[in-house]
Formats: sequence, C-alpha cells, structure tokens
Amino acid sequence: MVNKSFPLVITTMLVLSLTIGAMQVNAQTQSRPNILLIVADDLGYSDLGSYGGEIRTPVLDTLAQQGMRYTDFYVSPTCSVTRSMLMSGTDNHVAGLGNMGELNAPNQIGKPGYEGVLNKRVASVAELLQDNGYHTYMAGKWHLGLKPGQIPHARGFERDFSTLVGGGSHFDDGWNLEWQMPKMPYTEDGRPVKKLPKDFYSTKAYTDKTIQFIEEGRKDNKPFFAYLAYTAPHGPLHLPDDWLRRYKNRYDEGWDGIRQQRLARMQDLGIVDKDANAADRLSFLPRSTALVPAARVMQGRKMELYAGMVEYMDDQIGRVFEYLKEIGEYDNTIVIFISDNGAEGNDLRAMVAGRPGTMGFLHGMNNFAENGHNSLGRKGTYAEYGPAWAQVSMVPFRIYKGWVSEGGIRSPLIISGPGVKGAGELNKKAMLHVMDIAPTVLELAGIQHPDNYKGREIEPMQGKSWVGMLAGETQSPRTADDWLGWELFGNRAIRQGDWKITWLYEPLGTEDWQLFNLVEDPGEQQDLSNELPDKRQKLIALWNEYVKTNGVIIGARSPFEQAGKQLPTRVPEYDNYPPVRGLEALPYEKLLELMGGGSEDKE
Amino acid sequence: MKSTNRHFLIPAILATTAVFFSFSGKIHAVDDGARAYWKGRDGTTVVSFQYLNLNMQANDAKQFAPNQYIYPNADTEANIMVASWARHMTLFNRPSSLSVNLVAGSVDLDASASLEGQFVPPDQTAGTAFSQSSSGYADPSVQLDINLAGTTPLRSTVDLLNYEPTWTVDAAVMLGVPIGEYDEDKLVNMGLNRWYGRLALPIKYHFGVFSPGYMSSFEITPSVWIFDENDDFLGQDLENDPLWQLEAHLTQDFTPTFFGSLDLLYRSGFQSEIDGTDVGDDVDIGDFGFTLNFQSTDNLMIRTSYSSNVFGDSDIDNSLLRIQFVYAWHPLTENQKKLSEGH
Repeated sequence: MVNKSFPLVITTMLVLSLTIGAMQVNAQTQSRPNILLIVADDLGYSDLGSYGGEIRTPVLDTLAQQGMRYTDFYVSPTCSVTRSMLMSGTDNHVAGLGNMGELNAPNQIGKPGYEGVLNKRVASVAELLQDNGYHTYMAGKWHLGLKPGQIPHARGFERDFSTLVGGGSHFDDGWNLEWQMPKMPYTEDGRPVKKLPKDFYSTKAYTDKTIQFIEEGRKDNKPFFAYLAYTAPHGPLHLPDDWLRRYKNRYDEGWDGIRQQRLARMQDLGIVDKDANAADRLSFLPRSTALVPAARVMQGRKMELYAGMVEYMDDQIGRVFEYLKEIGEYDNTIVIFISDNGAEGNDLRAMVAGRPGTMGFLHGMNNFAENGHNSLGRKGTYAEYGPAWAQVSMVPFRIYKGWVSEGGIRSPLIISGPGVKGAGELNKKAMLHVMDIAPTVLELAGIQHPDNYKGREIEPMQGKSWVGMLAGETQSPRTADDWLGWELFGNRAIRQGDWKITWLYEPLGTEDWQLFNLVEDPGEQQDLSNELPDKRQKLIALWNEYVKTNGVIIGARSPFEQAGKQLPTRVPEYDNYPPVRGLEALPYEKLLELMGGGSEDKE
Repeated sequence: MKSTNRHFLIPAILATTAVFFSFSGKIHAVDDGARAYWKGRDGTTVVSFQYLNLNMQANDAKQFAPNQYIYPNADTEANIMVASWARHMTLFNRPSSLSVNLVAGSVDLDASASLEGQFVPPDQTAGTAFSQSSSGYADPSVQLDINLAGTTPLRSTVDLLNYEPTWTVDAAVMLGVPIGEYDEDKLVNMGLNRWYGRLALPIKYHFGVFSPGYMSSFEITPSVWIFDENDDFLGQDLENDPLWQLEAHLTQDFTPTFFGSLDLLYRSGFQSEIDGTDVGDDVDIGDFGFTLNFQSTDNLMIRTSYSSNVFGDSDIDNSLLRIQFVYAWHPLTENQKKLSEGH
C-alpha cells in the first residue's frame, strides 16, 4: 500500500531542492562577476589618451580612471601567438602556436607545440568557464584554427561571430590577407557565414554581436565571459565614410613632432620616466622634416585613418558599456582591455601582394589595388601606416610588431570592475604577461584549472593570477626572481626584473645577445653586454631553461632572416649626421620660406 | 639589392599626378565643355587646340551658330580651329583662371531661294539661291573665372591633396573683341563686328570619391550672352536680345585616365532686330551629346565630343563634332620630372 503522504513529501522535496538550487545559482551569480575581455588588434602602446596618445579615446580613458593601468604588460610579437596564450594561460610553444601557423618553418611542422592552432594539450579559458556556469561569447578575431574542432564554438564559446583568420578587409567584400583563401572565413555560432551584410564594418559588427549575445543570454542570470576581439586597427586601414576625415590634417606635421609630444605626455602621466632613454628612429626612416609638405600630408593621411579606427573602436566599446549600464550589469563586470602585439610597422601589404606574376599579386589586383590619396581607407584599398608611425605608436620602445624588442611585445593594459582597487592609478611595478589573464579570469570565476579535461591530460597554466594584485594585496603577481621568455621567428628575449636580453636578426638586431636595463633604457639603446657579462650570461641560462621547458624549436626559416636585404637602406640624412649647420637649424617653416616662398605656394 | 621604401616612393608619384588630375581646357566657341571649371593648381598653364566641325540645316527659322551668326533658310558648314591658353591662379584668395581663345576657320553657306530680304547680300538677288563663304580669324575672347564657394585656394600640392570638393560655385565673365574678319557685304563672316560678352555661373557637384578613376560630377552652367549692336550688317543695324544658355554635364571617370560625359546645351532668346524691326523668332535649340576624354600622359589629354539638337525648334538640324588636345604643365612638376629622370 502506498503511503498517502508520499506524493506530498516528494513534492516538498522537489520544491525545496529547486529553491535551494535557485538560491545557489543566485548566490553564484551575485558572487561571480561578468568578464568582458577586449582585445585590440595591432594597437600601439602609446595610442590611447590614458597612455599619452593624442587619439581621442574618451571611453577607454574613463575606464582607466575607474580602474588601473599597467605599464609593464607583455604580449607576443604577433597576434595568433598572443591569442594562444590568452586562451590557454600557458606559453605559446606549449599551446600550439610555437610559430604562426602561416609561417611555420620546415623543421617545426608537425612538432608538438607547432600545430599552428590552439592544440588539445590545453583547455581554453572559455571551455572551463562554459563548463562552470558561465555564458561564453566571442565576437571578432580568432586566428587559432580553421577546422571544425578548432573554431571558437568548438573551443568553449557557446555563441560566436568570428573571423577565423588573421586579417583582411573590414568591409563586406571580406577579402583575406592570404591569397590561398581569398575570402575571410566567418563563423556564427559555429556555422559558416555565407555572406556578410552590405553595410558590414568589422568593429561595429563585433560590437553589435557582443551586445546581442549578452542580451539574448541574460534570461537565466548566469554571468558571462565575453571576448570582444576587435580587428581594429589592424591593416588594411579601413573606415566608414563618415569617419574617414575625422583626423584630417592632424598628422601633417610628421612623425617626429607627434612622437615627441607623446613622449612628453607619457612622462607627464608617469608612464615613462623623465630621464628614460627612448629608442631612436629606425635608421631607414627619414626625419619627417626632411620630407616635403606634400609627402608629409600623404604619410599623415595613413595615420589619420589609423587614429580614426582607434577612435571608432573606442566609440563602439562605449556602446557596450552603455548597454551594460542599461541592463545593470556594468558594475558587476570586470573589464580587461589589451592589445595583442605591438603596432604594425612591417610592409604587410607588400608581403601579402607579393610581386608581379605571383598569385599574391593577382589577389591584390582583384581586391585592393586602389591607392589614390582620397581613396585610402575605403573599400578596395590597402593602406597601412608604415614603420615611422608604428614607432610613434610604440614610443618609447624599439621596433614594432613581429619583433621581441619592447616595441613588439609591450601592450597597454587597463582593468576595471568590481574588486579592482586603486581607481585611476598606474602600476609600474608589476611585470605582467598575457598568459596571466586566463588564470586571473578563472580565479575570479572561482574555477580551478584541472589537470585533465574531457579525458585528456592538459598542460598546467604558466601564467600567474592577478587577483591578489587587483585587490591591492600585492603590487605584482611575480617576485624579483620570476622571469618571462619570448621566441618568435627566431628572435629571442628574456626579461627578469629590470633586465632583458634580446637576440634579433640583423639589421635591427645584432644576431647576438644584447643586454639592456629596461628601467633606465626602455628604448633598448645601450647594450650592456660588455659591462655586465655575468648578468648577460645569467639571463642566457634562463633562455636555455625557457627552451627546454617549452620545447622551443628555432625555425630553419624566418620571415626576418633576410631583413637586412628587405629593409630600405639607411637614410642619408639622420638626426645628427651630417651635422646640422646653418639653415638646417632653422624651424622648418622658416627654412621653406627661405627656399623661396614657403610651403603655401611652392610645394 | 636593397628595396626602396614603398611608403616614401608612392607619395612622390602621387604628388605628381595630383597636380594634373584637374586641369581643364575651356572652350568659348560653342560651349565650355565637360569639366571646364575643374580647378587646377595655382601656376598651372593649359594650352588647348581644338577642331570643330559644325553642320546646320535650317528651314524657315533663324538659328544661332558658333560665332553668333544668324542665317535663316540656309545650310551651313563651319570648320573652326580654336587655340586656347589658360592659367590657373589665385585671385582675391579664390581659385581662379584666366583664359584666352583665338578662333580661326571657315564657314560655307548655301542659302535657299526663300531667304528673307533683310538677309540677302548686295550682290545677290532675292528669290534665288546662292552660296557664300568666309574664312580667316574670328573674334578672340578672354574669360576670367573665379570660384565663389566650395574650393579653397589650390596654391600647393598640399592644397590639391586636401581638395575634396562637393558643391562649387564660380562666376565667369567673358568678353569677345570684334577684331575678326568681317565683310559688311557678306551674310557669313568670321567676326561679329560687335562687342559681346557672357556672364556665367558655373555650378558643379562632385559625388563619389574624389580620386582618379572614381570622380563623378554633375555640372550646370546657366549663362547669358549679351551683344552690342552690329551697325553694318548688310548695310543695316542688327541688334539681338540676350541669349540665355544652360549647359549641363554628367561626368564619370571610367579609369584614372579616362572619363566620359553626357552633355546638354540649351539656348533660347536672341531675338533679332534689324533696323528696329523684329525678324524671325527666338532661338530655341536643345543639343544633346557626349564627350570622351583620355589623358594620355601626365600632361596631355585628348578629347572628342559629338552633339546634335534633339529638342527645341524642330526646323533645325545641327551637329557638332569636336576633337581637342589639351596640354598642361606646372613648373615644379616639370622640374620634379627632370630631377627624377637624372641627368
């Protein structure tokens, strides 16, 4: 005989368990923040207003006032390599991007850590968050694998709108940088996107999707992890028509003046020490005052486009923040803003388009042959701003994207949100790395990184959580003995404390180890190898440890192996050679006037 | 071999072409032509030579022809050469241009038997058909054009690089000087034997990207021609009302060095009065045509156009065929080429 009270007991237990479950979810929701991870693509260190730039970035500057800025945050010299560490929390040589997949050397292909995709030796931070009660969204650039098991949807993002490759048109024509795959592959929620809408513009589309995903997922009150991986301001420099002339003539004065102004602002902001040694302009770049006004205007136009892309991105980030405020989630959201590598100073267009007669050139003929001064920035063009402006974006550092000098691997870092102490302050003590972000996010979400994931053993994270630092308990997650290592395209570096060694291909390096003190010499200009051979040797030993720990294989081929032959020759007139005499010492406008009437009617 | 730096090579090339993308050759003979009021860099000189062939057949009408002749009930063919010189400059801090036209050629007339008495030359008999011709220089003219709005002074390459016009409005004043060949006993002459002038308000709208290969424009130029009295027209006094003219062009780049235009020219007014008596009707001619323009070098443009009347007075058939060569240069650009070419 069935007890008549049994159904009542069952019902009561069910209600109780549901109530407790709901309470747990609510408690979890309230205690676990949303995380908005924003990554800019090829943004320079000094571009944001809060880092000394003249580009208007009010949204990110406000974010910096609400949160913390960090001066010594490191990424990799290129994007996919950085992203592998961002997603895995471990070194790129472990996570599958020992080299960029597109540029793996023959002796690297097929080797562990050189899969060219985010490999299965790691679990992505999105996978772990998704499995532990987070909504996981991604909009933007993935660049960590093209195949079904490698795409964002397969690596932990429940919703995504992603371009899977490194770059290409920002418009609906969607041409890819690689001729082997003429169109950029996009996915939405794991499915290929067949056609982009006519009014597609990358930065806006990624913003729209991020807002859409959050909106559509907020019914269940679960926290979200949103990875907003903009492709701006990566070349080609493209902008919507109404943004093309936002900085018209702002950069006509040339790169030297702008660079000096930025450096002065960085010193005022405390980002760079007053007596710190900034990198020289690269030897093949002329001083901007040696260019005729028209040439400066033409060079300045490219920087105008770059600045427009940065401001547009800032504006769109503002849309996300406004939306979060509208739905009451802004105050429960940790926002992390970084760039993926140094500013782009390589002639990527030439690398992409190749030479006449090649498939790359045909690709360029079909997609980005326009180069009229007033056409630049529009569909069908491929503007990039070149090494001189990239050096402006990376002042005071040496070189730019692609190289492991500071100009390739320093990035701005802004963190704001619940529990982040020290609003508006600048942290110059912490040596931080992009692979710290995954452990930080996991700790914020209360998740332990597992040893096994879905039946396979996974690598431990090498990054260090910042949670203690964000709470104001420590100034840095690293001790003085901790060190960081880099290797890409055969260029190498180790940093420990204030010291750094680099091995760079000629002519930008010496193809030997150089030693620098980054506090006194952030521009890496004074090689102290001869003065401090023991220090150098100690860091070389760390490099050897880095190679061993991470399975580094120096590539038999490198895109920079012939840099000495590819880069232009030293310009004949450099800052101090030949010595400045007579008329050359005059202000530029005065000099033009003396040459016969001034710039207005002569050039 | 070391590569040159693309980032500094391209500006030099483009700075050269930028100087010339907007040179133009004005024509005062019939109409101004497409892109006649596009601006050039201050100091640019433009020389143009053009050949025009005009054919007109008229029945019971008065008509207006290249150099403002009237010859009713006649078939006419004119072969005209126009040499023009123009200089782009800055006047009152506005982009301006001064141009001069020298016109020469020949006109052949076949008049019908029904030619009205006022138009019968002294050596001809009313009621009989006759032929007449004239050749030599026509009246030269000079025109000053000044931009009123929409364009900043174009004194330098920098100004040209920054030049992205949308609406522009100019004012143009033209004066014809009556020193061309004139025979008071002829119905047809190369010269007009009277002062004349024109006031024009060229307006254009640039749409699309202002970049070679993508430039487009809609251009409309209302103007009025004003004529002094010819006190010796076959021994009579000839006066004409003002001639109202509306010229329009829709232009489009096909490539950076090749553009085309659809052309419209409408003229009305010009009522003739001989010895104080109105003769005939107002002019009412609407021509439609096209222009093709090829820039063969940095300096040289070759242009051809054709137009014919398609509305207005149905008693008139006229056509105009034009071939034009326009050569332009700026001293700095020429010097740049010399330096670039070495010794």
